[in-house]
Amino acid sequence: MKRITFITGYFGSGKTEIALNLAVQKRVNILLDLDIVNPYFRSREQEPLLKELGIRTISSGLVNSPHADLPFLAKEVYIPFHDQSLSAVYDLGGSGSGARLIRQFKDYLPNDEVDLLFCVNINREVTDTAEKIIEEIHIIESSGGVRPTGLINNSNFLKETTVQDIIAGEKVLLSVAKATKLPIVYTGVVSSIDSDDFHVAGEKIILKLYFNKHWL
Amino acid sequence: MAKQLMKGNEAIARAAMLGGLDAFFGYPITPQNEVPEYLSRYMLEEGKVFVQSESEVAAINMVYGAAAAGFRAMTSSSSPGIALKQEGITYLCGSELPCVICSVMRGGPGLGSIQPSQGDYNQATRGGGNGDYHVIVFAPETIQETIDIMKEAFDIADYYRNPVMILVDGLIGQMMESVDLTRPVKKRFLPEKDFATTGTNHHNKRNVVNSLYLESAELEAHNLALKKKYDKVIINDTRYELINMEDPDYVIVAFGTMSRVCRSAIETLSEKKIRVGIIRPISLWPFPNRAFETLEAPHLKGILVVEMNLGQMLTDVIVANNGKYPIGFYGRAGGVVPDPSNVVDAIVHFKDLVVK
Repeated sequence: MKRITFITGYFGSGKTEIALNLAVQKRVNILLDLDIVNPYFRSREQEPLLKELGIRTISSGLVNSPHADLPFLAKEVYIPFHDQSLSAVYDLGGSGSGARLIRQFKDYLPNDEVDLLFCVNINREVTDTAEKIIEEIHIIESSGGVRPTGLINNSNFLKETTVQDIIAGEKVLLSVAKATKLPIVYTGVVSSIDSDDFHVAGEKIILKLYFNKHWL
Repeated sequence: MAKQLMKGNEAIARAAMLGGLDAFFGYPITPQNEVPEYLSRYMLEEGKVFVQSESEVAAINMVYGAAAAGFRAMTSSSSPGIALKQEGITYLCGSELPCVICSVMRGGPGLGSIQPSQGDYNQATRGGGNGDYHVIVFAPETIQETIDIMKEAFDIADYYRNPVMILVDGLIGQMMESVDLTRPVKKRFLPEKDFATTGTNHHNKRNVVNSLYLESAELEAHNLALKKKYDKVIINDTRYELINMEDPDYVIVAFGTMSRVCRSAIETLSEKKIRVGIIRPISLWPFPNRAFETLEAPHLKGILVVEMNLGQMLTDVIVANNGKYPIGFYGRAGGVVPDPSNVVDAIVHFKDLVVK
């Protein structure tokens, strides 16, 4: 894993769950919630858990209030670029409007220490074919001003996910990878269906669904 | 693709299109913004009308205009925005115009918060407009059910020539679920829209769409005709679900997100050997009185109403229960979503929650 990872993608592709799981499993120093698009299910809501694990949360909420709907960025968002000793995951808002914030970092990008990963769930109607995914990658690239450096296969149906769903996603993403020359860096696998002999493209990230309450 | 993952608000928008939406008018407000955002993209692609109006009031009046011209029109908003639309809603009812209104509830009163709430039960079922009128209100509990009802909503609106409201809380609007958009829904015979202002065609009398009746006798006749229509809705389109209702010790009444929490709670309660059933109103107006009239449960100790507000549906349950069983209430407000364990505790301590 590179020192800094940005997670981007079409909205509803599971960026926040991936960002949280990556931050927790890789024990990065900072999780930066730059989602100013969504009002609910933002990674900043998990701040107490992250704090317990020694992970700092930086978000654009008010102090002690994760539920504000305010379109501003905290001044601390550049910290990982100024202190080379810190590792970080940036959780961006969805689609082009969420990716536009990447332009804030144009003085620092592209950068060998930074990954900009495009997260895909092929069960979302806007990213259900290789052609549509490539189009979305172009939208992210033109909004953010930086080309993604890799792909994440996060094809799932939440708690109803099967191994076949992940394999179907991988098949589509392999053709995207071929066309765009972007590698599949991670594959998200819901913990309940994982097994040792289930091999996937890139590194396997066993997902804990932080936002999926058991009654949902 | 039969199965896909959709956000509630996207599903509302897509299902409206599948239901024949011709024209959408709306103004942004959290937590329903994905409805207009989605429609702004896809309505234009399909050559349909999408207008981001200058205000909520403008949007509901544009709906009035489009409906009067015979088109399937819709607006969507959240709590304070629906408050602004009340005048338009009573005019739509008075003029017998069909339309669909989607309300994604957040915390109130006033600006409140952007967190999920069921605080607009009264706003939806009673309304803030003037006169004797009703809006047909459906409160689905899953995204799939939201889709199925939304697909049928324009038919129901056209059938009765009356506004239909889809009422969900912000959680259903914002969460994601795997859904099937192709599930068939009930079709009904719909008469020609002979009221529509589509031109005189050189020989017909021109149509006027209006809610003004200056003569008392004339207006009373109009009121009675509306009443007759509303009675028909009560008979034909009252909807509810009975869950685990075989010889219950307690019955919970809950709708929307709360009924999902309660479904989980009654599993825990059955492990504690407490049998709890759920009456889940799907139509909030008309309220499912008959579920209470036909309630025969020899061991029933009481009815617990659970809402994400401080007791609004409670009034309807008290009326429907007609003094038969003790009624208790458990509610949370301000955007707090109760956990199943809260509902379990409420049943265990039912006696303390009984409404006097």
